[in-house]
Amino acid sequence: MNTDDLIQTLAGDTRPVARNSIARRLVVGVFAGGVASALMIMASIGVRPDLGAAMQGASFWLKWGYTLSLSIAALMTTAQLARPDSGRLRGLWALATPVMLLGVVGLVELAQTPHSQWMAMWLGHSWKSCPWLVLSLSVPIFVGLLWSFRRLAPTRLRAAGAAAGLAAGAFAATVYCIHCPEVSAIFVLTWYSLGMLLAAFLGMIVGPRLLRW
Amino acid sequence: MQTTEGHLRALMIDGLGGDAAAHAALLRLLVPLLRGFYRRRVRGADDDIEDMVQDTLIAVHTRRATYDPERAFTAWLYAVARYKMIDHFRRVGRLRPIDDLADSLVADEFEASSIARLDINDLLEQLPPKQARMIRAIRLEGLSVAEAASAEGIGESDVKVSVHRGLKALMARVHGAVR
Repeated sequence: MNTDDLIQTLAGDTRPVARNSIARRLVVGVFAGGVASALMIMASIGVRPDLGAAMQGASFWLKWGYTLSLSIAALMTTAQLARPDSGRLRGLWALATPVMLLGVVGLVELAQTPHSQWMAMWLGHSWKSCPWLVLSLSVPIFVGLLWSFRRLAPTRLRAAGAAAGLAAGAFAATVYCIHCPEVSAIFVLTWYSLGMLLAAFLGMIVGPRLLRW
Repeated sequence: MQTTEGHLRALMIDGLGGDAAAHAALLRLLVPLLRGFYRRRVRGADDDIEDMVQDTLIAVHTRRATYDPERAFTAWLYAVARYKMIDHFRRVGRLRPIDDLADSLVADEFEASSIARLDINDLLEQLPPKQARMIRAIRLEGLSVAEAASAEGIGESDVKVSVHRGLKALMARVHGAVR
């Protein structure tokens, strides 16, 4: 095709672009994927029967606070990496803050618990499955983010893949809270985070292949 | 017409607002810039160059949401162009010989210098036309004062005064912008 014709065709499709359209697209992708993950839970492992009661307790909101704030921080990093001229990343402290805060809560919990119960508190009932479930639930969310990236322009594909993977993992963990009955901070800090890190690692591996444009 | 950073950016912002004419004008202005960008870096057939130019135009169009109006347009454009060049090599699957690499490293200065040139154009546009013309002739094109004077049909002292006043005004602007 001749370049002038190409320009005519492209210009014929000039729709207004909202200023915050990157953020909007990422949020839509994450939420669409999150709905799919929630449906996956309902169809397989099921929602915890006492969800309504649990939502009135502090430990549920501690978990959500952790996973949601990490989701937001990871999405903000992803949004920066979605620009071709991303430059130096800012706001990475936002990723470290929730981890450190939950670490403090975990230490307080440990201090209030007899030594003999530490192991049980750390491993809970589901430490073997939790990271893998978070990783599996992150797949639909990552697919949602791949849709978001169709209009975005990352140039550091590994980093962008890792950030998107982390965002998918963190939001998957948020969704997973509707199933998971575990209550201890140290459990969440270890096994939830491990699931998110696996998702980030997977994102880093597939990023260069799937985020190309 | 001069292709300045300010002009390109204004067209881009209008295009983002949905102005198809501004968007078309922008894409047309980008063609020579991109051809120059790729010709200096890629030793290849004109077809290859034109492919990359078109790929970049398509990317500029489909991914324009990633341009942040607060930042320089040319930096964004060249980031897209550079990515498309790397992508082109990856797709073609050709390993570049090492002596080519040295060339492309040297050619990287082209980007910096063309951004600088756009900045200079921006600045000169704010001066009275005669001062801008004289600065271009003496400082950028390297004419002697006598040559510039006879080309413009004015006296040599007039040329010197124009250059001096123009540079002084530019300095004031640049310092003002930095502060």
